[in-house]
Amino acid sequence: MILTLLDELLLFSGATLLVALFLGRGLTAGWMVTILYGGQLLALLKMATLGYGRGTISSMLSFEVMGQTLSWRFDALSWFFALITIGSALLSSWFSCGAWERSFIRQGGNIWLFHTAMALNVFTMLILLASGDLLSLFIGWELVSWAGFLLMALAGGVATKAAMRYITYAMAGGMAIFGGLALVYSASGSLQLEAVVMAVNQTSTTKLWLLVILFGGGFGIKMGLLPFHLWQAPAYAETPGPGSAFLGAISSRMGLFAILLVLVKLFGIVNIDNLKVPFTLIDARDLLAWLAVLTIILPTFTAMKQNDARHLLAWHGIGQGGYMLLGIVVADAMGGAGGLLHVFNHATYQAALFMAVTAVIYRTGTSDLNKLGGLVVRMPLSFMVLLIGIIGLAGLPPMNGFVSKWLVYRSLLNQGMPLLFLAAIIGTLGTILSVYKLIHNIFLGQLRVEHEHVAEAPWSMMIPMLILSAIIFITGLMPGIPLEWIASVLQTVGLPVPEYTLGGVESNSGSLDMIWVIGVLFAGFGIGAIVFYSAGRSKRVHQLDNYAGGHFLSADVRYQYSDNFYAGLMHLIGGWYRGSFLWLERSITSMIEFLSLGMQGLYRRANAEFYLLSTALFVIAWVVI
Amino acid sequence: MSAMELLIELTLMPLIAFIVGMMMVLMMRRIAAKLQRRIGPPFFQPLYDIVKLHSKKTQVSHGLIHDIGIVMAMGGYIAAETLLPVPGMNGIAEKGGIITLLYLMMIPSLGLALGVGQCANPNGSIGIARALTAMLAYDIPLVIVVFGVAFAAGTTNLIDIIAVQQAGGFETWGVTQMPLLAIAGLIAMHASLGKQPFEIYIAPAEIATGPMVEMGGKYLGGLFVMQCFQLYTTSVLYVSLFLGGGTTWFDFLLKSFLVLAIPVSIAYLFPRYRTEDLLRLMWKWPVMLGLIGIAFVFV
Amino acid sequence: MNASLVLTIALPLLGAFLLPILMRSSLAIGLWSGPAILIYGCWTIADVWLHGSTQPSSIAIGGFAPPMGINLYIDSLALLFAFAVQLLGLVFWPFTLDRDSARRQALMLLLVAASTGLALSGDLFNLYVFYELAAVATFGLATASGSSAAYVATLRYLILSGIGSVLTLFGIALIYGKTGTLNLAHLAQLAPDQLNDKLGLTAFLSILIGIGVKAELFPVNTWVPEIYATASTRLSAFLAGLLSKLALLIILRLLLLIFHQPEALQVIVVLGFLGVVSGELAAWRAKEMRRMLAFSSIGQLGVMFIAMALPDGKGVLAVLALAIHHLIIKSGLFMLAEDWGGAIQRLRGSAKTAPLGAALFVLFSLSLVGMPPLPGFWAKFTLITELAGQTEPLYLIGLAVFLLATVIEASYLFRVAAILYRNAPRDTLDEEIPKSEGLSLATATLFGVGLIGSAVLIAPVGDSLNSIAVQLQDIDLYISTVSPGSSQ
Repeated sequence: MILTLLDELLLFSGATLLVALFLGRGLTAGWMVTILYGGQLLALLKMATLGYGRGTISSMLSFEVMGQTLSWRFDALSWFFALITIGSALLSSWFSCGAWERSFIRQGGNIWLFHTAMALNVFTMLILLASGDLLSLFIGWELVSWAGFLLMALAGGVATKAAMRYITYAMAGGMAIFGGLALVYSASGSLQLEAVVMAVNQTSTTKLWLLVILFGGGFGIKMGLLPFHLWQAPAYAETPGPGSAFLGAISSRMGLFAILLVLVKLFGIVNIDNLKVPFTLIDARDLLAWLAVLTIILPTFTAMKQNDARHLLAWHGIGQGGYMLLGIVVADAMGGAGGLLHVFNHATYQAALFMAVTAVIYRTGTSDLNKLGGLVVRMPLSFMVLLIGIIGLAGLPPMNGFVSKWLVYRSLLNQGMPLLFLAAIIGTLGTILSVYKLIHNIFLGQLRVEHEHVAEAPWSMMIPMLILSAIIFITGLMPGIPLEWIASVLQTVGLPVPEYTLGGVESNSGSLDMIWVIGVLFAGFGIGAIVFYSAGRSKRVHQLDNYAGGHFLSADVRYQYSDNFYAGLMHLIGGWYRGSFLWLERSITSMIEFLSLGMQGLYRRANAEFYLLSTALFVIAWVVI
Repeated sequence: MSAMELLIELTLMPLIAFIVGMMMVLMMRRIAAKLQRRIGPPFFQPLYDIVKLHSKKTQVSHGLIHDIGIVMAMGGYIAAETLLPVPGMNGIAEKGGIITLLYLMMIPSLGLALGVGQCANPNGSIGIARALTAMLAYDIPLVIVVFGVAFAAGTTNLIDIIAVQQAGGFETWGVTQMPLLAIAGLIAMHASLGKQPFEIYIAPAEIATGPMVEMGGKYLGGLFVMQCFQLYTTSVLYVSLFLGGGTTWFDFLLKSFLVLAIPVSIAYLFPRYRTEDLLRLMWKWPVMLGLIGIAFVFV
Repeated sequence: MNASLVLTIALPLLGAFLLPILMRSSLAIGLWSGPAILIYGCWTIADVWLHGSTQPSSIAIGGFAPPMGINLYIDSLALLFAFAVQLLGLVFWPFTLDRDSARRQALMLLLVAASTGLALSGDLFNLYVFYELAAVATFGLATASGSSAAYVATLRYLILSGIGSVLTLFGIALIYGKTGTLNLAHLAQLAPDQLNDKLGLTAFLSILIGIGVKAELFPVNTWVPEIYATASTRLSAFLAGLLSKLALLIILRLLLLIFHQPEALQVIVVLGFLGVVSGELAAWRAKEMRRMLAFSSIGQLGVMFIAMALPDGKGVLAVLALAIHHLIIKSGLFMLAEDWGGAIQRLRGSAKTAPLGAALFVLFSLSLVGMPPLPGFWAKFTLITELAGQTEPLYLIGLAVFLLATVIEASYLFRVAAILYRNAPRDTLDEEIPKSEGLSLATATLFGVGLIGSAVLIAPVGDSLNSIAVQLQDIDLYISTVSPGSSQ
């Protein structure tokens, strides 16, 4: 019995869970768990060959149950997602140690449950990522869903409500996958990964459609694909701070992982492309691509209307998922790389953003965008982290989000998809608007009187945030580092690989070299700074020493623009927010309510014997006649 | 190309842009003066303005971000110029391409937005909200246009896009190949300059409700420099996309000034649109033209 | 040695009649004789199971060989259920001591005897007799609480059950009239020739609906919510957990041995389908824990009916797995519900006062909705792989309905879980929050341990279930066991 590297990793992860479970009551528990996450990361790095080439590492664990063989293994795809998972868990857990933990306990939170839920999430995600056949994939999938439920629900109150909504959606998704699984099994008699390929080759078009819908829908629910996105934002936003950073970074990407594994690697993009919608020019792939861009646009513009920082970020999390799917569905070298790189990039900046917002909540007690403002003078480092994060989120140079979005745009341009391209850009523009509102309403503008004595976030929270910011910048400067891993992932799932360099990609239809771009950008900033600072010295004035149309400003005057931030825009598009999906969700709920009422009425009827007799007679008559 | 040559190019390109940009500001003012039957400012007036603003005694800062915002506003354009080929100099255009250029051009707006935000004046913030909305308005047709051009040329590399147009003289210029896109591009470009009738967010006439409300001295000076760059970048980008770039400096500058003269002349004949009307206008005509134009590109 | 199995029916039966007398003479002996009988029954069956061969056997009663005499048929399934009956009889034994306890304990013994008989019986008429006996015992037990609601509920149950019996008898009469025998093995021999027609079908459907009353078959299950909500939870647990499964398995055995008409399967699948839909939907709005469990049980039984209706006995394994799984889960859940009566909303904060109970509830719910790697997942897995393999649209619709019903099920079960883990309203005293303790919690824990145990040992459990299913489907084996020498 020799333990493979994968076994080591899983054992380490399991040990983390046990430590959190049994020693999680004390205040040092957070640090212990964090160190163990570090150990997991090391164990993962020992497998780094996976990220740099082909090959798989299997676990010696294998079961035979009810005639099905269950096995687990890691390849480049699993490794890449595992890296993000453990990395974000490590930093989120680090963030939660110390100061945040104490305030969480003060507010009546159960820190033991929190650490346990986090460790459970990581453990189950690793199991999912390691799945070596469809059955273990499904088992991992369900485990991840329920672990996520635990983390979302533990805050109680509103969070539990959101988590309940989540679990209904997740259950629906799980059952769709379950159904798909059954179809594959019935077509090929096996649940090994190759079975999907066999099933695809053998079954009719109708069943293929069914498979794509079941798998696509099931996995799509997890990643908040339209029209199944409603659960995600409240569920992630209401999770306790570091938990939402972790969930926002990686949780819904599990859906993307499964799509990559099942629909892209096994099913094959070509086969999806071959599924035509009757009587139209579009096929299943177009359908997916359009779902992806709708997922970009609608949640992004919903995010713009949020007045709570956490909800705003969570809505963006849904929207950014659309870019990843879009890139992967386009499936050329640039698109695939862009989609996957965005997974990594999104994890980094989303975690940083949630942490920065949590730091603000920690100091001020609120994330209501109408109750904050001007905090940059009190929390400059948090401001910096948030700024770096939003630049990444909006996809502007010099942060990493730009590179991945650039790749997705390029793939759409290369493939000649103007409308998708336009839609993707609209999403980006909407993001810029929305994140400016975020940073403006929290950090810019007028500092409120009650925040006069707010201090910078404590170092226990600051260090992980700064590490994340560094990662955001460095991978923006040198996207070649993650691109190398992504190249092996692309190889594993059978997509073309772009020619990448340390600074970006090479292509004869237009290259990108971020080292140069960022170099000139900072040189430009330098020259600008020289020009600016060589001019006369400026005098720092108090924020109340301000133009107010002839009035005197005093500390009790609220001199800040935060509510209805894009009034002009909303004049035009405000009426387009119809809440149709909400309406749809509600109408389904009330339909079930109604049916439920009817069924209860059926059982409440007193003259049951009448039913018995009439059924008996009816059935017999039906059969005999 | 040796490192030294590249360094010289990278220094020269923004410098030329700055000088040409100042001349463009001058042209704009002269045109306005002509239309309003005034004499107009002297040749060096833009330079005087910049020097004056930077050397003012009273410089009011609202904090570090206020300063950094101005630095970003200038620096973003300085960097953008190196991605924009001019006759004889390509800079690092092939390492970025047109999409990168478009995004670099957003950085100054972001810098301005941050700087204004720090001023703690709601009037400024309202101006920024309007400016970002306007960006949403004009970027959509602009993106359609860029897509059309890049797709027709089969590349995002600006050098190649220019080379393709210069290959067959006037017949292969973007404006003859894709006239609809060229028109849409012109409208979008006009809006992106923030001139009348699309100047609600700057609103120089009512300074109290715009981004400039807390800007004075070198802050305003920095923004003035930014405007020089902006005029230059926009017109040169248009020339590169539709008018075949420039083979010599003479025709390059001629085209650039002529292109800029169109929106500027129109600007002073019009009053102003409200934000939502700006959105409505931008999302209707240029988008429609652009999409039809793209359809032609595909055919 | 196998003959001692007769005692597992006879002793409880005898006990049931003697117990009131015993109680009067000596309370101690009276109190302990019931459990003692059951323990003996468990031990006997376990002994047969462990030492006997895996081959089925038949015991002729009274020295007459079948088909003339009556016989007990003993195969793995029969043993398993007989064992479950005795064990659950013990677990749900009405220990409470009051004026009525003699009557209740006697009735419980009667119920156990009848149920064991149902599990072991090898001919139709005996099945009918035991079935009636079980019904009578149930009526008595259901009214034991003495509340008027219980009487009303029982009255409804009585009427339904009575008509059901008549229908069953009608079906049996039809069969007897046609074939002249009621022995199952003999019938299995004759069926392809004589019962493969409309008459046979009519007979089967009559029996189906008649026995379906106990198996919670739609639409003759309207007694379920009322009885489960008003009778003692122990009885409800026994009925929902075990008796319904016994009835179901009788139908399954009849279906496999005698009735092979495709129409029969269609009727079952449609009724099962309606049962799932109506049960799960009704449970969604249930405001009371027991009622919710009752509706959910209707839904689950519907699922088993769908599984049963798969052609060529493909669903047998799934039916067995689902039935045994549901047996454990529902018994456990009803035991938890014993302390958690009344409105569900009242349970807020229970997780604090009863952490183990709440945790068990979550465990059972997770398994019920099929969360891997709990056994419920494997049970559902066996079902859906078979369902998806069918080409008939009816089964695919069944699959879709089943999956949707699971979503609804998860939604209402976890709504309760969320309520359990919510903080109690501010002004509630700790005493007002329902606790979960004592015997019922211990019993539920027992089921929880059993569930986890089978999750760990899922591979051997799966294998043995599979062998039971194979044995169950082997008609020739059945015939040759009961009447050696004759073959089909």
